[in-house]
This record gives sequence, C-alpha cells and structure tokens, in this order.
Amino acid sequence: MSERAAGLKRWLTTTDHKDIGILYLVTSLFMAVFGGAFAGLLRAQLSAADLKLLNPDLYNQFLSMHGTLMIFFVIIPAMAGFGNYFVPLLIGARDMAFPKLNALSYWLVIPAAGLMFGSFFVQGGTAQTGWTGYVPLASRQFSGTPGVDMWILGLHLVGLSSILGAINFLVTIINMRAPGMGYFKMPLFVWTWFVNATLILFATPVLAGALTMALTDRAFGTGFFRPSEGGDPLLWQHLFWFYSHPAVYIMVLPGMGIVSHVLPAFSNKKIFGYKGIAVATAAIGIIGFMVWAHHMFTSGISPALRAFFAFMTMVIAVPTGVKIFSWLATIWGGQIRFSTAMKFALGFIALFVMGGISGLTLAVVPFDVQVHDSYYVVAHLHYVLFGGSVMALLAGTFFWFPKMSGRILDEKLGNVIFWLVFLGMNITFLPMHWLGIVGMARRVYTYRPEFEFWNQVASFGYILLFAGGMLLLYNMFKAVRKGERAAEDPWGVYPLQRTLDWSVSSPPPVENFAKIPEIV
Amino acid sequence: MKKIRVFLMTGLTLVGLASLGWADEPITNWLVNPEGPLARQVRSNFFFAMVMIMPFLFLAEGLLLYAIIRFKAKPGGRAAAFHENLRLEVLWTVIPALTLAITAVPTYQTMRAMEVPPKSDLVVGVIGHQFFWEYRYPKQGVQFAEEALVVPAGKVVTLNLSSVDVVHSWWVPAFGVKQDANPGRITHAWFQAERPGHYKGQCAELCGKLHAKMFIDVQVVTPEEFEQWILKKKGVSLPPDTTRKS
Repeated sequence: MSERAAGLKRWLTTTDHKDIGILYLVTSLFMAVFGGAFAGLLRAQLSAADLKLLNPDLYNQFLSMHGTLMIFFVIIPAMAGFGNYFVPLLIGARDMAFPKLNALSYWLVIPAAGLMFGSFFVQGGTAQTGWTGYVPLASRQFSGTPGVDMWILGLHLVGLSSILGAINFLVTIINMRAPGMGYFKMPLFVWTWFVNATLILFATPVLAGALTMALTDRAFGTGFFRPSEGGDPLLWQHLFWFYSHPAVYIMVLPGMGIVSHVLPAFSNKKIFGYKGIAVATAAIGIIGFMVWAHHMFTSGISPALRAFFAFMTMVIAVPTGVKIFSWLATIWGGQIRFSTAMKFALGFIALFVMGGISGLTLAVVPFDVQVHDSYYVVAHLHYVLFGGSVMALLAGTFFWFPKMSGRILDEKLGNVIFWLVFLGMNITFLPMHWLGIVGMARRVYTYRPEFEFWNQVASFGYILLFAGGMLLLYNMFKAVRKGERAAEDPWGVYPLQRTLDWSVSSPPPVENFAKIPEIV
Repeated sequence: MKKIRVFLMTGLTLVGLASLGWADEPITNWLVNPEGPLARQVRSNFFFAMVMIMPFLFLAEGLLLYAIIRFKAKPGGRAAAFHENLRLEVLWTVIPALTLAITAVPTYQTMRAMEVPPKSDLVVGVIGHQFFWEYRYPKQGVQFAEEALVVPAGKVVTLNLSSVDVVHSWWVPAFGVKQDANPGRITHAWFQAERPGHYKGQCAELCGKLHAKMFIDVQVVTPEEFEQWILKKKGVSLPPDTTRKS
C-alpha cells in the first residue's frame, strides 16, 4: 500500500507501522492521564494520617488500577509504540513483517482498556488486590466482584497483544534487516527490542496460564490455588512473578535502547562499548528469568530457593552495571548539548542508578525481609519504572517527536518539564525509602501519625509531577499545531551516528525507503 | 571501615531524629533499636552491604555529575573519539562481581541464622484473620485473639504461622522478623527480645479492606511477669472464635 487514507479512516484502518506506533503512543498517553490521576487520589488520601478522603474500598481499587494501568497500559504500550515506529525504520525495512497482525496487536489493547475501566462500574467495583492479584484475596470467596473477572480478562487481552507483537518484532528483526546489517551492526534500540520481544514471547504465556487458572478457580471452583482442594496460593505467586519479573525488564530494556541513542547523539560521540551493551542486554534477558522468587523471600519458600535467588539477583546487577559505566564513558570527553532529550537521558542515568542500587540492597535477603512489602519497595520500584522507564520514554519523546510529527517540541518548555519531573520524582519517592525502613507497610489507606511528615513531603512532590505532566501535554498540543518544522535530521546527529531514522524525511514517507538502503 | 560504619550510623540516626518517629514509644525502628541478637545481626548485615554497595552509587552519580559539568559543549570544541576500551570493560565487570561475592558472605550467614533458630524456649502459633491476629501457646494451653502477644524477655520465641483466610504477613521491625502467614501451610520465624517493652508492627501483605488497620502489638515482659500472666490468662481463657471465616 503506498496510498494512505485520510482522516479518521486512516487511523482506523491503518496497517502502517508508523501509524500503529503513533496509535500505541497516543493510547499510552491517554492511559497515563488516568494512571496519574489515580496516583493523585492515593497521594491525596495519604497527605495526612487518618484522612477520610477515600474509603478503604475505593483506595484499594485506585491502588490496584494505578499499578495495572501504568504497567500494562502505559509503559508497555509506549515501548511498543516506539518499537513499532522505529525498529523497521532503524533496520531499513518498509514495515513490520506482518502489518495486519501488527494492527490486531494494537486493537486488542482497546477492549482490554474497556474491561479495565468497565470493572469500576460493576457491583463491588474493580479488583482491590493490588496489581499482583494475590490469591486467595483475589479468589471468589474474598473478592466476589465480577470486577476481578474483568481485570483478569483485560490482562488476558493485553497479554495476547504483547505475544502477537513480540512474534512480529522477532520475525521483523531476524528477516528484514537491510543488506549488510549483521546482528552486531543493529542499532542498540533494535538490540533491546530483539531481547525484549524474546522475553515477552517466553514470559507472557506463563502469565496467561496463571490468569486462566485464576479464572477457572473463580468460575468453576477448580482449586488450583485453594489449599482445601489440594491447591496452593504460592503456585500463583511463582507463576505470576515468573512473568512479572521479566516484565520489569520488558518495561526497561527498550528504554535503555532509547538512552543508548540519545546519549551519543548529544555528546557528539559514538556509543561506548557497543558490543558490551548488546551482550549485557542479552545477559539481562536470560538472567532476568532466574530471579523471580526474590519477590517471595518472606513467603515461606525453602532456604535453598532463597539462597539461589539472592545469588542470581546479585549476578544480574553485573551486566546492569556494565551498561551504566558504558553510558558514562559515552558522554566522557564528549561535547554535551543539553537538549531536553539529553536532560531526560542524563536524568535516567541518575535515577536508574538509584533504583539499581536499592534493588541490589534487596538482594541482601535479611534486609529484604525487613523492608519487603514496605514503602522501601514502593520507592525502589518507582526509581526503576519512573526514574528508568518513564524518564527514558520522555527522552525518546523529545528526541523522536520531530521525526514522528515533523514538528519540534518547545525546548524552553521542555526544560521546565524536565525540572518539574526530575525534582517532583525525587521529592515524591526519595522519602519513601525511609518510610519503609522505619516500618510503614505499603498498600495502606492510612498510617500511624509518626509517618505523617514524610508522607506530606511525598504528596507535595506529586503536585510537581502533575504540573510536569500537564505541561508535557500542552507542549505536544502546541507543537502539533504550530511547532517549528523539522528537517530530516533536526539534531544534526546523522553524520556521526549513521542511524537510518535520521536519513529520511520527517515524518518518513509511506514505506520509509524508496530504495532499501545498503549498510556498509 | 569502622569509621565509615560510625559515620553511616550517625547519619541514619540523624535522619531518624528528623523523621520524628523513633523517639516515640512504642518501638518500631530496627536501625536505631534492633531488639535481640537476630535483629542486630540483620542490622550489621545491612550496614556491611551498604558499605560495600554505596561507593558504587557515589561513584556513578559523581562521575555523571562531573561529566555534565566538565564536558558541556563549547564553541569550536572537539569531542573525543574513543568508543571502546577492553581493559576498562573487564574492570567494571569484575570489580562489581567481586564486591558482590564479598557482600554475599555475611548475607548467607545471616540467612542461616534466620532459618535455624537456637533452642526454642517458647512456641507460639500465630494465625492470621481478616483483620486481626490470633495467638496460641500450645504448651501453656493459652489462646486468644485481638490482643497483644506477650512474651518473656531474653527467651527464644519460635513462631509457627498460618492463616485461616488470605495471605497475611507478621512484621515487627524491631525484632527483624517478617514472615507471611499462608492458608494451608505453616511457616516459621523466631526472635529473642531482650528488653521488656512495647513493640509495634503491622500486617505487611495486602489482605483486604482493613489491611492498613491490622496492627501487631507485642508486650515483652520479665519471665516472672510472664509466668503470672500465663496463670491469669488460664483462669479466664476462652477458646477464641475461629469459625467466623473459613
């Protein structure tokens, strides 16, 4: 197809990887507004001890849906959005291998989102189990609401969407690289998606299996997870984390790919240790499958399992460290231009290092046992997923927005957004480390008075994050309407980096390349 | 090494003071007030890990900050051209790996201490309910619910935990103990509180609507007081209602 339909019809019928990428990104932004609003409600309720803003039922619903939306409907689709748009472009292909399957992957997200939102409006409301849906709390006996069934079915649909997408990415990357592009010539964003798609393909079916068991337990009384029927609640935890730990890497690896493009681009250098980063990415992907039970150190698993998973959790820090040092060496000796994209990429390093280090302390089992399910873990996971994934996504947004829209985002406004987000993030989440250490459990709608001060600080930080988010939306809205036009290579990075995304017009034409480029 | 530890300790204490939390009774803060040998071992394991790991945080953030200040683009400036260095890459793989191997040693020792309790002086069954705790002293023939757990000071207390409904988690920070209570299985934990006093904790695993209000109170008393408390408890003890949730 070389002719493109116009208006709404274009967006509803498209199989163009670039249009689908934009659909994913817009959907993710839309869902982020809700995920962020729910977080705001949680922080409002926690802004003072024993506040009666939200009742416990509602608090637990917003808590569960904040996590579910941010993970499955914001970060994962946003990574898929950038992946869809840029993987074919970066490997010199005209589209994904299976364009119609690609459209199906995207359109599965919409009914899934419908189920999630709809689950608020059934009798009993949505799941109150946290995004982890631990049984027996999520069983029919303790969560009778059909909202939980809708939550399960919604996750099933996004899971299917992810699996189909992963197959598409793998086939595309393996078969459709331009002539001359060997595996070790692929840009690092493609490398991270290559590993990422593999993770999704192997991990997500396990989640699907666990969800199906939970569903049949609820609907038909099968008893996979019920001790009275010979089942075991710990089986759910094992299956759930077998998916959900790799999911952390699913959420962060493509972000590392984005950062590996932004840092050299604005340092006017080549990426340091390209092969090291590619191999470390693959190593993280493999070891990432062998650390899941570190989410279960207090569950009563055997000492041998605790010892093994503590060890592997320390091991995975090594390739992660390799990446961080390689990024530092990339900017070392460079000529750094502080564009907004670069600020977010540097902010990513600063915050992701924090999240990595706090993650490493959690491998020290005795300490993990102390702070597990406390606010320390809330702090840690937000440093990884907000400080890591979201900062990288924002770097990617400012970096690639001109390529996708043909317009440049306002850099002055971008600077304000960066500082609001960076400071807001730290003010919100840094105190949570301490709250967890001194004994505040997570997932609580209220707390003892001695925890009030740092909770107020955290709630104040949210206001900055909210302002940053609103300004970002405004910046995009303004840029699309009257932003400065972008040429092929608005950042002037092609001469040194030679990545194909900057070799075509902004936005690229339908099918990207009139003639498939050859890589030398 | 010792100096760093003192420094770290002072810093943490100051933050503790600032958080307004630690001076208040009851005792929750295990960094300032670890209670008993296990909690102290957990704390020194944590400090050791911090001493090993934190330099990497400061190194990475320091290098980042330095690079940001030092390598700002200047008109006519030229970027360096290097993009690999095998020796450097081997170093930053091997040094963190060795550091972690060293960190693992006291970690595994502490894990062993957590898993293998000394000879038990008192066995208590802990049963989680939505949203309260039930305690059973099988040898003493005492059981009750929705009251503080009472244990004698200086004695090794072993806990057998279970639940009648959903997963709960018994967490008393000052003792260095957090252990899930699962339906259908029994899990174990132990602690040895030395100083009489009132210790507070709460359920750590989301267990439903009132999870936030599922507190834990532990009263540590002298062994004599404990004997008297048992006698008094036996006189009035009624079997608790365990049938309200199945």
